[in-house]
Amino acid sequence: MRRWRSSLGLLPVLFWLSLFLVVPMLIVVVISFMGRDEMGNVVFTFQASSYATFFDSLYLGIYWDTIVLSVVTTVLCLLFSYPLAYYIANAGPRMQTWGLALITIPFWINFLIRTYAWVLLLRTQGVVNNLLIQFGWIHEPLQLLYTKGAVLLGMVYTFIPFMVLPIYVALEQMDKRLLEAADDLGATRWKSFWHITLPQTKSGIMTGSVLVYVSTSGMFVVTDILGGAKSAMISNIIQSQFLGARNWPFGAALSVIFVITSLVLIALFNRAMTSKHLAAKEGR
Amino acid sequence: MHTKRKNHPLLGIHSLLVMIFIYVPIGFIIAYSFNSSRLAADWSGFTLDWYVSLFNNRRVMEALGNTLTVAIAATVVSTLLGTLAALSIRSVGRKTKAGMGGLLYLPIIIPDIIMGLSLLVLFTQFHIPLGKLTIIIAHITFCISYVYVIVSTRLAGMGGQLEEAAQDLGANAWQTFRHVTLPQITPGIISGALIAFTMSLDDFMVSFFVSGPSSTTLPIYIYGQVKRGISPEINALCTLLILVSVTLIFLAQFVLNRGKGQKKQSVLPF
Amino acid sequence: MKKMKWAGIVLAAGLALSVLSGCGGSSKETLNIYSWADNFDADVLAAFEQEFDVRINYDVFANNEDLLAKIKAGGSGYDLIQPSDYMVATMIKQDLLAPLNKDNIPNFEYVSDSYKDPSYDPGNQYSIVYTSGVTGIAYNTKYVKAEIDSWEDLWNPEYEGKVLLLDDNREVIGMALKKAGNSNSSTDESEITSAVDDLKALLPSVLAFDTDNIKQKMIQEEGWIGTVWSGDASYIAKDNPDVAFVVPKEGGTIWSDNYAIPKGAKNQELAEKFINFMLDPENSAKNYESIGYSDPNTKAHEFHSEEYNNDKMINLSEDELSRTEWLGDVGDKLQLYDRFWTELKSGR
Repeated sequence: MRRWRSSLGLLPVLFWLSLFLVVPMLIVVVISFMGRDEMGNVVFTFQASSYATFFDSLYLGIYWDTIVLSVVTTVLCLLFSYPLAYYIANAGPRMQTWGLALITIPFWINFLIRTYAWVLLLRTQGVVNNLLIQFGWIHEPLQLLYTKGAVLLGMVYTFIPFMVLPIYVALEQMDKRLLEAADDLGATRWKSFWHITLPQTKSGIMTGSVLVYVSTSGMFVVTDILGGAKSAMISNIIQSQFLGARNWPFGAALSVIFVITSLVLIALFNRAMTSKHLAAKEGR
Repeated sequence: MHTKRKNHPLLGIHSLLVMIFIYVPIGFIIAYSFNSSRLAADWSGFTLDWYVSLFNNRRVMEALGNTLTVAIAATVVSTLLGTLAALSIRSVGRKTKAGMGGLLYLPIIIPDIIMGLSLLVLFTQFHIPLGKLTIIIAHITFCISYVYVIVSTRLAGMGGQLEEAAQDLGANAWQTFRHVTLPQITPGIISGALIAFTMSLDDFMVSFFVSGPSSTTLPIYIYGQVKRGISPEINALCTLLILVSVTLIFLAQFVLNRGKGQKKQSVLPF
Repeated sequence: MKKMKWAGIVLAAGLALSVLSGCGGSSKETLNIYSWADNFDADVLAAFEQEFDVRINYDVFANNEDLLAKIKAGGSGYDLIQPSDYMVATMIKQDLLAPLNKDNIPNFEYVSDSYKDPSYDPGNQYSIVYTSGVTGIAYNTKYVKAEIDSWEDLWNPEYEGKVLLLDDNREVIGMALKKAGNSNSSTDESEITSAVDDLKALLPSVLAFDTDNIKQKMIQEEGWIGTVWSGDASYIAKDNPDVAFVVPKEGGTIWSDNYAIPKGAKNQELAEKFINFMLDPENSAKNYESIGYSDPNTKAHEFHSEEYNNDKMINLSEDELSRTEWLGDVGDKLQLYDRFWTELKSGR
């Protein structure tokens, strides 16, 4: 009875999302099966040709590149963020406050402005090149901007906070008695980290990874600004179908494919993480 | 609560390096707000002119007001809804849970442009005039997800034992929630609210499509400026915003710690 | 619990503050303008507000396609918009614009004949030109020593990795079409294909595709040579005098931004009065002097500064203009352009 009552709390969200998410998304799904006229107006016919267009090495290749870049960004963010979140979670309360504040403050600065700041740093006459030349490490400025590396850097830079926060939330609440017990049993720090801390913070890693993966794969401004718009991502294509090319059905079909594959990837990732967790538990 | 692990020095160095990585570009933004050249390229002397002209720029000020109104309203509503969802989803069956979970992830996954355009179509079909209200509605829709995701992370690690224990001891549902669940998930709620706030603050694409006359937000204004070169006024504004956020945290910390004796409290109790 | 209370107080205070600051609206008639950023001189706008006792609300978009999506949905609430040439044509076809009442715009007579009756809006039924320019080659004479007079020069291997191209499908493919002596709006598949093959050969030389920030890239000498709009070239040359501009001998694409009124605008008459006000020679001179774009107002030249009148990149010669072509509608071939463009942008 109580369970039934507390599940009522889902109703407001369900109502909200149905109205402002499900209905608009259904419109998108419907559009993806329609045709278009020469002006780019959507025409009411039923066809699946927009989906067929996607299975073309051009679009498949772009989507594959997007997935690879997103996965690499996620892994790098995780590698940078976990130790930082760990450090903050184990610091004194004052340090904790400031550590977290310092992670969120960059968000107060407009994303575009933050990204342009990297242009200033990386350009041929920019700070990085000037420093390298001054140290005598290079003689000619390097072409750092408008490369795949610059895009990756921009992505990692943008999304590190998305990884730090959830991992921190998980670390902060984990049951520290387990660690004390491990200490008492003479486990090394590394061992207790590997067998206790890491499994206990899986939910944080999962949340952070999903947030970073999804945000990266939907991002296009970084590729434009730091990558010189030379390596289109799937969202660039979706964008241009709706605006420049005026092919709404194809743009809608791409979006549907994008959303479904993202959901499937997240589900697979979730499954992999959970089963490993169980295995670790049983093994102990 | 319990003993903290002592941090290894290498961890400290790593954290410092990541922080430097995060703050080098921001240092530049701040420095260039004092640069007398309009071009964000060469340093040509110290000036406060951009701060003066910023306050005389009616359009930037309006945009800032709109942005904050939208962000605060969207954060409050989405934090309530998202937290409620994270709490309630625990008591439904597995299938419903998977379905609802997927639905709650959708707003994060859907490309911004789809969300913006489809909401634009929805609002115009129902003759809802475009403006601040429509932007707030759109922002709530994607912010709910961020709050939900973070709060559920917290709940996932919490387990149900404490709540069960409280109920065994005769606490009613409200008492259990108020004294057991809520204090436990507060850090998650605040983290979620922070992410929601910043997502709203930074959103361009969705806001652009659902905005109407007199509801230009800061990101819309800044994106529009790109064509002619972004004015250092914006750098000045960013610098002030950082100053405000740091001051707020500092003040809150100070007030909380006063009279608490030794026990230091963190304002951002993540 | 204290913490929660605090967070609540801070949020409530912020909300109250921002709501208060948002409530400065007056009951004056409002002209809602939707245009490119910083497209008008603020003083001229203020003068209009004062003279007609109205309030101007000026919102911005970043490109024509965004503008179209917004206007097409209807109910945007704008009275005056500024689409580019081809977008005027598209909007007319889609029945999105209201015909202009020229009785309210007597100053229309001052508009230069070369911009009256344009191919994208015969008879100026729906639009009046605001400013115009030509896509040519801008190059930095510090690095580019050869004489530049042809699109072919972009393909010079000496500039490898330093070439900038506009991030615009039709502009860039149109450029390659012109280079081969075809129309920039060709609908002939073999012409388009060979133009794209030509561009693919140029790809390794390309530093970046960029429309909005191409100016900064030229000023900061990231790029040495590239396809740049004449008005932007003038802007670049002011900050970096080494940069020169040429309209290549094969000719370039001419473009314009225009005044137009969306169908269903609430204040059409006020919008027309605004257009008329902006076309007043003195206001016109003041406005263009400040924004630095070309002024199509023939009567305004006497009010312009010498510097402005002598700027060759703002005031293009008859000879240069004679080599230009508007981008025409390519109908369903737009899909072909888009596909090729995607190939170019993803290096496939």
